[in-house]
Amino acid sequence: MAKLPIDRTMVMYIAKKVITLIITYFIAICIVFILPRLIPANPLATRLQQIITYYIYKPELVPIVWRELLNIFQFDKPLHVQFINFLRRAFVGDFGISVDMYPMKVMDVIAMSLPWTLALVVPAALASWFTGNIIGAYAGYKRSGALENIIVGYSFIVSRIPYFWLAMLLLYAFAFSLRIFPVGGIYSSGLKPSFTLDFIVDYLWHYTLPFLSIYLVEVAGWMGSMRMLISGELGTDYILYSESVGVKDSTLFKYAYRNSLLPQVTGLALRLGFATTGVFIVETVFNYPGLGYFLARAIGALDYPLIQGIFLIVIATVFLANFLVDFIYALVDPRIRIGGRG
Amino acid sequence: MRVPLYIYVLIKNKRFMLGLIIFIVIVGMGLIGPLVYPRDPLTRGTKYLPPSLEYPLGTDGFGRDVFAQFLYSIRTSLSVGLITAVIATGLGLVIGAIAGIKSGLVDEILMSITNIFLAIPNWLVAVLVASYLPVEYRGPHIIAFLIGLFSWPWFARAVRAQFMSLRERDFVALSRIAGYSDIRLVFEDLLPSIGPYIVGSFATFMASGIAGEAGLAMLLSTETMVKYLSLGMMLFWANYFLAYVTGAWWLFLPPGITIVALTTSLALLALGLEELFNPRLRES
Repeated sequence: MAKLPIDRTMVMYIAKKVITLIITYFIAICIVFILPRLIPANPLATRLQQIITYYIYKPELVPIVWRELLNIFQFDKPLHVQFINFLRRAFVGDFGISVDMYPMKVMDVIAMSLPWTLALVVPAALASWFTGNIIGAYAGYKRSGALENIIVGYSFIVSRIPYFWLAMLLLYAFAFSLRIFPVGGIYSSGLKPSFTLDFIVDYLWHYTLPFLSIYLVEVAGWMGSMRMLISGELGTDYILYSESVGVKDSTLFKYAYRNSLLPQVTGLALRLGFATTGVFIVETVFNYPGLGYFLARAIGALDYPLIQGIFLIVIATVFLANFLVDFIYALVDPRIRIGGRG
Repeated sequence: MRVPLYIYVLIKNKRFMLGLIIFIVIVGMGLIGPLVYPRDPLTRGTKYLPPSLEYPLGTDGFGRDVFAQFLYSIRTSLSVGLITAVIATGLGLVIGAIAGIKSGLVDEILMSITNIFLAIPNWLVAVLVASYLPVEYRGPHIIAFLIGLFSWPWFARAVRAQFMSLRERDFVALSRIAGYSDIRLVFEDLLPSIGPYIVGSFATFMASGIAGEAGLAMLLSTETMVKYLSLGMMLFWANYFLAYVTGAWWLFLPPGITIVALTTSLALLALGLEELFNPRLRES
């Protein structure tokens, strides 16, 4: 393995990124803190009514849940005390107790659902990025009429399909009409999560449609942008020069491909935040118990501690992913870190 | 009669014309449709009727006429897109223009705010704000407003970058020598130079408003929101009635196809305008 180019510029670059990251997370926390205190109607008053109707069969729980809710928002304390307490808890990841899933802690609900969301987002995002780039680059390089037209059309239209609508189409085609795939969930009832062959096959069987509804859309986006980048790259001086001195076609392709890949790495970072939205809604369509499924439930039940917790966790995850991509980018392209020095 | 050059370029652009035709057809359906087919979209009748002559797109799980809903929803979704686009374009223009014309501290402050909003996923803030609103206020127009409020950052950055490069050009320098104030410079020199780009971004914002409202409606709506109609709400109800499992394709196919057709046609319009703005793109 080649030696990693970690020198002073790299350290400076990372330090700058980390500071920006912490400031932005701090501001996100402020937004979460200010919002419920800004809205004139008292959300807690409506919430109390709902808690009472919600726990009608377990009336002894009402005062407990209510106290928990007050404990989280602490409206009875002075504003600066509220803020400092909130800040401290947000940085250690203590978001209180969920109202909807009482008596589970918000952090436990997140710990239970985040792995399922990641298991959906990460493979779909990476697989679409790799395959989309290769297909797009090939189409842009070959410039062979029909194939290129199909790919341009596909990428232009399909990249604009909302994932959740594609999910509905796939369910209609494969679960309702053909009855090949299940309509939702992550594994058949009766099975327990384990590393046995039975479970893994069953999980993949449930996983196929949610995965496809994200993959098919994302791959279209990457194909389109890569084809444009490659066509731009093929017109540059160094490619024309290499061509004129008789460099092999496959080598030319490799040059153009590697250079066009760089903007796509940044694209991946920008895309992650957006892709999570879509994934969240796909989860609600498939009853896939990830963060999005619980977020939709929490919104329906006005479970504010859980909404706040998921909000901050998603932001933190998107930031970390962005940071990781930035880091990889700086490793691959030295111009970035030098530019970062000013 | 002489045709201005920019209209000639646009008419010659097949993709732009295709986008324009699709867009006009959908707008026509939304504007004229409810007049030609004046059935009330909220009246309840027999449930889950398949499409027939009586009900061109059948009825939903409440027994409401889906075709009437569809026509009204197009109208709502178009206004949703307009609201988002007006707010986002406005905010982006103001912030980008101020940052681009004033350098120094003002620029620094505005750009740090922009970068922070760029880093936080905008739909997530919209979800958080909307979740604090009482359910009866979470209608499509409020969601459109929230999406617009949080989606301007990339546009502000683009406007700033364009202004910064235009600022160095000779014609702007001449205007400065002639004693133009900053405001006059913006309105007479800078804004007209990026006119097509602004219109293209407006179309892009409109598309993202329509698609964004559809997505957020899926997350934020509850079964009590029966009186709201939009393409997103139609998909929410299709999901609520599990239309794709019961085979009621008429609940989710028409609104979904329309969303994709609208966003695609708006993207074609934006692309055509970008080519007008940047002639280098025309050959490829």
